[in-house]
Amino acid sequence: MNASSTASLSDLVVERVGFGIFVLDRQMNVLMWNRFMQDHSGLAAEQVVGKSIFTSFPELPRVWLTRKLESVFQLGSFAFSSWEQRPYLFKFDHDRPITGGVDFMQQDCTFMPLMRDREVEAVCVTVSDVTHVSIVQREREEAVAKLKEYADRDGLTGIANRRYFEARLRDEYTRWQRYGGDLSILLFDLDHFKKINDQFGHSVGDSVLREMAQRVAGVVRAQDTFGRFGGEEFALLLPCTTLEDAMLVAEKIRNTIGTTPVEVQGNSVPVTASVGGAAARAGVPAYEALINEADAALYAAKRQGRNRSVAFI
Amino acid sequence: MRDALNEDQRDALQEVANLAMGQAATRLALLLDAFIELSVPRVRVVAVRETAQALREMTGINDTVSAVRQGFRSDIKGEALVICKSDSIEQLCSLVSDPYAKSAYEATTEEELIFDVANVLTGACVSCIFEQLGRTPVFSPPGMLGAAMTLDDVFQPNVLAWEIALLVEVNFSLEDQSFRAHLVMLMAEDSIRHISHALDALLSSL
Repeated sequence: MNASSTASLSDLVVERVGFGIFVLDRQMNVLMWNRFMQDHSGLAAEQVVGKSIFTSFPELPRVWLTRKLESVFQLGSFAFSSWEQRPYLFKFDHDRPITGGVDFMQQDCTFMPLMRDREVEAVCVTVSDVTHVSIVQREREEAVAKLKEYADRDGLTGIANRRYFEARLRDEYTRWQRYGGDLSILLFDLDHFKKINDQFGHSVGDSVLREMAQRVAGVVRAQDTFGRFGGEEFALLLPCTTLEDAMLVAEKIRNTIGTTPVEVQGNSVPVTASVGGAAARAGVPAYEALINEADAALYAAKRQGRNRSVAFI
Repeated sequence: MRDALNEDQRDALQEVANLAMGQAATRLALLLDAFIELSVPRVRVVAVRETAQALREMTGINDTVSAVRQGFRSDIKGEALVICKSDSIEQLCSLVSDPYAKSAYEATTEEELIFDVANVLTGACVSCIFEQLGRTPVFSPPGMLGAAMTLDDVFQPNVLAWEIALLVEVNFSLEDQSFRAHLVMLMAEDSIRHISHALDALLSSL
């Protein structure tokens, strides 16, 4: 008579089931070891049962595991370990050795009291393979991060888009309202951009926008937010900056844009910009008003003949 | 709603909870090697709309909370929440002396420690109450409900599928510390019926 013909149905289930099941007594001796554990550890029940688990697996976290088990014995309650805090207990391989990208099988473990007459006789530990869950979650986190990145960027130039710029401005404006200090913004516009599009075509126009965004991005400070406001209009948010200093930045930007013509597809395209600046001050009720003031200054710069910067006063 | 449990049953449940918390306190003290003070448990039947307010009164917390949830089940099933003010979640870990401090090699994250503490508190109290009722519960793993949420966010009447719940609250503190953590067990209509049977059985066996 072979072993399996005397085994109960529960024994057969425990042997075949797709997760690890083993039982420990209070001295950490292994009392039971199912096939999943055997297949993944390479150690058969005969080799493991009757010995301390640390004899067979000296690399297990001894303090941690002893404490988990002791809490189950003393409280008669469950204990858990999640892959999200502790990726694995045993260094098992998993079924995605090629495409997985994780070193060992990610594991959720449950420690259950086995009760007899109100006493905890032993603790049953189950080990679930959650490698797949962890990979899906990692991929989702990466996708969300990428989406968030795209959601904040302008597709053509790669700098911040208007939505992100306004969100940053709103935050900085709220901070300024609460803590005071200085806060300025610049709006600038490439002069006669429509003519560039008409004369050289839209693809050259797009190249000019990209080149200008790149040039200006190269001269702004790390703490500033530089965004495309739409069309050929750009905006720069300058926290902790007075209007006077902002206008120095405005001149710097105007020079960066205007000094050297853009070389596109064999054409040398001269570009200039007009800049309007405004600063937060008492009596400006909301960040939108700050944008309106900078826009008014920009309009003034245009009217005064373009290629210049004007502050809203 | 008032007659979800009759007066005898309420008294019996209060007594069961008292006994269970005494037992839980003893077990926790042994396990954690520290004296943790458990309050007298408070038992109430609440409508879903009143739950947030009831918990504000019971816990005295009006600010945002951190809450770890865990499910438990036998024929009586429900959820346990370990709640504390969100700015004092680190102190929750001080309820237990850090077992890992001695072992730099076995580092643990704060999140893991929070789950461990919440699980130990929940496990001790819920198991003891169930033991009194002659049942052995199965628990689900702890999960973070939120790190900074209001009690109204926890109990949004329009998304919850129950009308009334039995609520058992107990709070923990370490000697000489103002910090408190609250454990709330919530069981909905179906389970209240099972509890009332269990209490009847208990009363008739006296």
